Amino acid sequence: MKFLTLILRSLFRSKRRTILTVLSLAVSVFLIALLQSLLGTMDSLTTSTASGMRFVVQDKASFTNVIPQSYANYLRQQPEIEQFTAFQWFGGEYKDPKNFFANFAVDPETYLQVYREEANLPSIPPSQVRDFIRDGNACCVGKTLADKYGWKLGDVVPLRSSIFNITLRLNIRIIFKGQRNSDEMFLAFNIKQLQEAVPWMKGRVGAFTVRAKNPSDIPRLCDRIDRHFANSAQETLSITENAFNLNMIKMLGDFSTMVHSISGAVLVAILIVTANTMAMAIRERTTQISTMRAIGFSSGQILSLLMAEGLLLSLMGSGLGIALAMCAASLAANVAGQLLPWMADFIITGETLLLCVLLTLGLGLLSTFIPAYRASRRPITEGLRAL
Amino acid sequence: MATGDISVRLRNLAKSYWRGTLEIPVLTGIDLDIPRGGYYALMGPSGSGKTTLLNLIAGIDRPSGGELEVCGHALNRLDDDELAIWRSRKVGFIFQNYNLVPVLNAYENVELPLLLADLGRAERRRRVLRALELVNLTDRMHNYPRQLSGGQEQRVAIARAIVHDPELIVADEPTGALDARNAEEALILLEHLNQELGKTIVLVTHDPKAAQHARFQIHLEKGVLDRTVEVHDRPELPRILPGPEGA
Repeated sequence: MKFLTLILRSLFRSKRRTILTVLSLAVSVFLIALLQSLLGTMDSLTTSTASGMRFVVQDKASFTNVIPQSYANYLRQQPEIEQFTAFQWFGGEYKDPKNFFANFAVDPETYLQVYREEANLPSIPPSQVRDFIRDGNACCVGKTLADKYGWKLGDVVPLRSSIFNITLRLNIRIIFKGQRNSDEMFLAFNIKQLQEAVPWMKGRVGAFTVRAKNPSDIPRLCDRIDRHFANSAQETLSITENAFNLNMIKMLGDFSTMVHSISGAVLVAILIVTANTMAMAIRERTTQISTMRAIGFSSGQILSLLMAEGLLLSLMGSGLGIALAMCAASLAANVAGQLLPWMADFIITGETLLLCVLLTLGLGLLSTFIPAYRASRRPITEGLRAL
Repeated sequence: MATGDISVRLRNLAKSYWRGTLEIPVLTGIDLDIPRGGYYALMGPSGSGKTTLLNLIAGIDRPSGGELEVCGHALNRLDDDELAIWRSRKVGFIFQNYNLVPVLNAYENVELPLLLADLGRAERRRRVLRALELVNLTDRMHNYPRQLSGGQEQRVAIARAIVHDPELIVADEPTGALDARNAEEALILLEHLNQELGKTIVLVTHDPKAAQHARFQIHLEKGVLDRTVEVHDRPELPRILPGPEGA
C-alpha cells in the first residue's frame, strides 16, 4: 500500500495519454462485452431446456415453404409424441410498419400445451384459455408486448401482414406472464383465421412443432417422420427446435465466427495501443527508474511497480468499458427487444464480465511486461546517462 | 588504519568495457583507502574514469577485476538483489541533475528511500521532516520539483540522500547544474554533513573550487590513480546541524 501513491502518480504522469488509453481500452471492452453477450443471448435460444423436448417438422427445401396440414394425421399416430401444434409465421404489423413484433398463426387447442413453459400455462386462468380456444378471432399476447402498446384483455388488435396482404382484427383473450422477457414479446392467434382469409393457406401450415414424451426419442422420431414423407409431393425435414432456431439465426450469416473475428481484431489493436503507451511511459522514465534502482529499489520491485501500473490502467479501462456495456445492454434489451423478442433477454452475463476482466488483465500484463522487464534489467549506469 | 575505520577499500581495482571483441580499459590497478568520515573529491579530465570509479564505490556498477570493499561489505560477492539492499541501507546518492521524481512532491521524494525500509508511516514522517529540516526546506515540502529552484531541488536531493542515515554519500558533479551561490550552499551543506554527522563523502567534480571543500583530492589520469592531495586551510565550519541521531 505504501507504493500506491507512487504507482498512481506515475500512471497519471501524462494525464491526457493515460485518459486516452483508458478510453481506448474502455471502447474495446465495451465492444467485446456487447458482442460476446449478443452471441451468448443467441446461443441461449438454441440451448433452452424446453426446446430440447421439441422438434420442428418443416418443408425439406425451406422453412419458408408451407406443408399439408394433413401430415398431422401421421404425427397423431406416433406413440412417442406427447402433443404437436401447427404454426405459420404471419409477419403482421400493428398500425404502423414500425410496430413490428413476432406473431404467429397457431392451433390454439394445442399451442398452449406445446409451449406451456414459455406461456407459463399454469398461471393462466382456465376461463381465458377457454375463450382463446373458442373465439375464432382470439389471440394471446405476452405481458411485455401488451404493456408496450397498452393492451388489455378484450381489446381488439388490428394486425396487417404484407406477406399475406390481409389485415386481421384479433381479440385479446390471454395476456400471459412468461419466464423470460423474450417469451412475452409474442402474439399468437388461431390459424383458422389465416386459412379462411388466404385461399392458398387452406389445408396448409408453415410447420409443426412436436413435443416428444422423451427427448431421447426425438432422433428416432425425426428419422421415422422424414422417411415416411420421403418421395411424397412435399418431403419433410424434422429437426430439433434448437437446431431450427439456429437455422433462423444462421440467416444472419456465420455470426459466431464474425463476432470472434471482430473481438480478436479489437483485442490485437488494443494490445498494440496499450503496449505502445506503456513502452512510451516507461521509456521516458529511464533516468527515474535508474535513480530508484540506485537508491535501493531491486529489479523485482521496479518490475512489480511498473506491472502494477499496467494492470491498473487495464482495470480502469475494463471497469469503464463494462459499465458502458451494461448501460448499453439494458438499453438494447428495452429498445431492440421490442423488434427482436430474443433481444429482450439481452444482458451482460457474469461469464462475459469475467471474460472481459481476465482479457484486460492479460492485456495489461502482456503489454507491460516486455518494456517493464527491460527497464528493470537495464544497467543502472546506462539509465543514469540517458538524461 | 584499522579495517573498521576504513569505509572504502579498493585493491587493484579494474574496469573495462567491451566493444565487440575490443576491450577498452577505463580503470586500471586502483588502490585506495578512504577512512570512515572521510571527504574525498575525485578529479580528473573527462574520460579519466572518475564517474566510473564513483559508480563502482556506490555499487551501481561491477568491476572487471580487483577487490572492492565498501562499508564493510565485499561488493563483488553480493548478487544484484543483495547489492540493492546494501545500497538502500549504506549509500546516499546525489546527482548532478538532482534526479527527483517529478510526480512526487519534496516530502514524497525524500521519503522514497524509506519505503524500502521496514518503517511505519509515523517513523517515516519523523525522519523525512528531520532531513528536510537539515536542508532547511520544511516550508517547501509540499512543492513539486517543477515548483522549486535548482538550488532547492538539489537540497531536496541531499535530504533524500541522508534520510535513511547512510554511512556513505556519493555525489556526481552535485554543483554542475547550479549557479555559484547555490553551488556554494550545497557544498557547505555537504561539508556540514561530513564534519558534524560524520558521513563519508566521495564527490566527483571538475570544479577545483568545489574540490577545495573536500579533505582530500584524488586525481585520476587515463584510468590510473595519479596522486592524492590533502586540502589544507579548510575553514572549520560553525556547528549548525543537530546530532547524528537526529537524522
